[in-house]
Amino acid sequence: MGVITPAKPNTAAEAALSRALNDELADKGFVVAQLDKLVTWARTGSMWGLTFGLACCGVEMIHCWMSRYDLDRFGFAPMPSPRAADVMIVAGTLTNKMAPALRKVYDQMAEPRYVISMGSCANGGGYYHYSYSVVRGCDRIVPVDVYVPGCPPTAEALLYGVLQLQKKVRRTGTLVR
Amino acid sequence: MSDVEIKTLTMNFGPQHPAAHGVLRLVVEMDGEIVERCDPHIGLLHRGTEKLIEYKSYLQAVPYFDRLDYVSPMNQEHAYALAVEKLLGIEAPERGQYIRVLFSEITRILNHLLNVTTFAMDVGALTPPLWGFEQRELLMEYYEQVSGSRMHAAYFRPGGVHQDLPAGMLDSMEGWIKQFYPFMKDVENLLNENRIFRQRTVDIGVVSAEQALDWGFSGPLIRASGLPWDLRKSQPYDVYDRMDFDIPVGKTGDCYARYLVRIEEMYQSARIMEQCIAALRKVGGPVRVDDRKISPPRRGEMKGSMEALIHHFKLYTEGYKVPAGETYTAVEAPKGEFGVYLVSDGTNKPYRCKIRAPGFPHLQALDMMTKGHQLADMSANIGSLDIVFGEIDR
Amino acid sequence: MSDALKQLGDHILQTQAGVVSKADIRLGELMLETTPDKVLSLLTFLRDDPKCLFKQLIDICGVDWPEREKRFDVVYNLLSVKNNQRIRVKLMTDETTPVPSAAPVFSSAGWFERETYDLYGVWFSDHPDLRRILTDYGFEGHPLRKDFPLTGFVELRWDDVQKRVVYEPVKLAQEFRRFDFLSPWEGAPKVLPGDEKAQEAAPAPAKAN
Repeated sequence: MGVITPAKPNTAAEAALSRALNDELADKGFVVAQLDKLVTWARTGSMWGLTFGLACCGVEMIHCWMSRYDLDRFGFAPMPSPRAADVMIVAGTLTNKMAPALRKVYDQMAEPRYVISMGSCANGGGYYHYSYSVVRGCDRIVPVDVYVPGCPPTAEALLYGVLQLQKKVRRTGTLVR
Repeated sequence: MSDVEIKTLTMNFGPQHPAAHGVLRLVVEMDGEIVERCDPHIGLLHRGTEKLIEYKSYLQAVPYFDRLDYVSPMNQEHAYALAVEKLLGIEAPERGQYIRVLFSEITRILNHLLNVTTFAMDVGALTPPLWGFEQRELLMEYYEQVSGSRMHAAYFRPGGVHQDLPAGMLDSMEGWIKQFYPFMKDVENLLNENRIFRQRTVDIGVVSAEQALDWGFSGPLIRASGLPWDLRKSQPYDVYDRMDFDIPVGKTGDCYARYLVRIEEMYQSARIMEQCIAALRKVGGPVRVDDRKISPPRRGEMKGSMEALIHHFKLYTEGYKVPAGETYTAVEAPKGEFGVYLVSDGTNKPYRCKIRAPGFPHLQALDMMTKGHQLADMSANIGSLDIVFGEIDR
Repeated sequence: MSDALKQLGDHILQTQAGVVSKADIRLGELMLETTPDKVLSLLTFLRDDPKCLFKQLIDICGVDWPEREKRFDVVYNLLSVKNNQRIRVKLMTDETTPVPSAAPVFSSAGWFERETYDLYGVWFSDHPDLRRILTDYGFEGHPLRKDFPLTGFVELRWDDVQKRVVYEPVKLAQEFRRFDFLSPWEGAPKVLPGDEKAQEAAPAPAKAN
């Protein structure tokens, strides 16, 4: 019994790592790692995203989940219900009428929760910054972790933003919040 | 036994809901599982587009139209470009018109792909979106090649289109069309004769022809109810009068008929695309009107000639002045009749730009369509109405 | 096309002489003008008359001309599927004169009138359900009027202390820069400092450009 290794390790480092893991397991029967790293590995490996598509960015968000830029392979499954989601992607313009609903949905999410603000309308009001009925950035309502710029950001940009969020979680994730 | 008074249950089909197609808040009064009344609360995406347009010049207002119906951006730009051209009294050159018709049909396929596949997802089929969105990605590649942006192109401008097509695009499009027909056959095989799909869509949300006229329906909804009305045929604009295509008309006016009309429209759009591509290989010339008081010079010219520089400067800062007048111009957008009521007072900014979105009266009729149906049929109805909140709320 | 429109316009002017005050054809579009008390009979006529058959109400909107006494224009756009024609009906009203609702004539009028009420403040009498449709719950003011500022009066943010969204007066990080190209003097205020003295001194004040 050993760690499942890739059939052909890409680099020498990978090959060395898998050999080391295998040796340790064969020798002692267990591996040791930092609890922090383990927890963040579990968290980032399966971050379920709440699909909060409001406007045009929502379409690019759907594209990110579809066949070409498949977010699902990163463990980032779409989850319509806030009770079971980890990340909320605010995609689109947030209006004054919608703001209480956004906050309510955010409050329904369980900790640890993260917010990705997608698109310039969610970042700072965007194209509709000067309008009478638009909230100038969703960070007035919810605390934001990653801002993805663009109008709309391409699906690839959103993917990059999701990976940045994973890096941020690995960097700052602790057990105590 | 005494009379039992039954109170209906008022339920909130909230703004955040996977089947709500954006931000729709429906307050439904239900008697058990049957919907008695539903009251759509819209305005959750009201961004003040019309007010903002009044503060921008005519060219600066073009991108607002992309963001209205964001699944079919270029059709909205088309309506605005036609309205401004009517007030200016100009006409786009022939090549520009062919390019516009080509991209209008690409946009129609984009829209119907999203609508049909997400409608299937609402009623439970999870595979069609995955297939359909790859086709959308291939089409959005064309958007990107021609305008730089995958979705919001700002490509159709008053006077024509912004730039000519890059080399090799027409061949690539022909290749795309060739693989599109077998793809559509696959999707039809999945859904058309599927027992579950048919049970969820046949005889749901039936709208008769008189009701369709009374409630202001247009587009695939009115065609599915039996009326062969299509603005591309009856009030043709650009080069649609030279195109040879059919209009699918449904018989029963239920969700299944609307779905079939949209599928067939995709085939017809591909047919129009083939004709446009053949024409574009032959027709040359400018893609936007030559008048330097309206369309800016090319960048190479601008860096060389003084007049071109002045024209460029004046057009991108002040913009062109449109003579006073008003017009209502409508195009056959994929969702229905998209109209722009433009009032100009002679300055460089629109005085009033009312956007008539097809989804607005369609959503109004949701109450009429869903009476007596069950809650699950509500999402089937919303899906078949093809609702996008960018255009309803503006 | 324009002949048919002209004939239609003449026909309507003859049969509805008391109701229609003007019929115009501009840019290939036929426009009728009427008054709020006559509009319902005109719409019913346009819908039912065999030569007209405008069975579809496409749009109702408002236009604000603040210099006029009757500042609002309510514009109805109609479409006849049978005859393939469009027509426009306009009427003028102000903030206090109600317009009878077209909902009994066309079912689609309901929401269009709600929107015109919401954005302009035009009151439609006998409307089945007249309330705000696009703007926020409890929004004050009618946004598309010309005297309503672009950025509005209130903006929204979440207050962590009160645990709810609060409305506060608008404070922009950067003002909306409006370039009025009607004057060659860009950015200069219309009234320069010191002009008040000129107005006090001379009866015919020297206005800045």
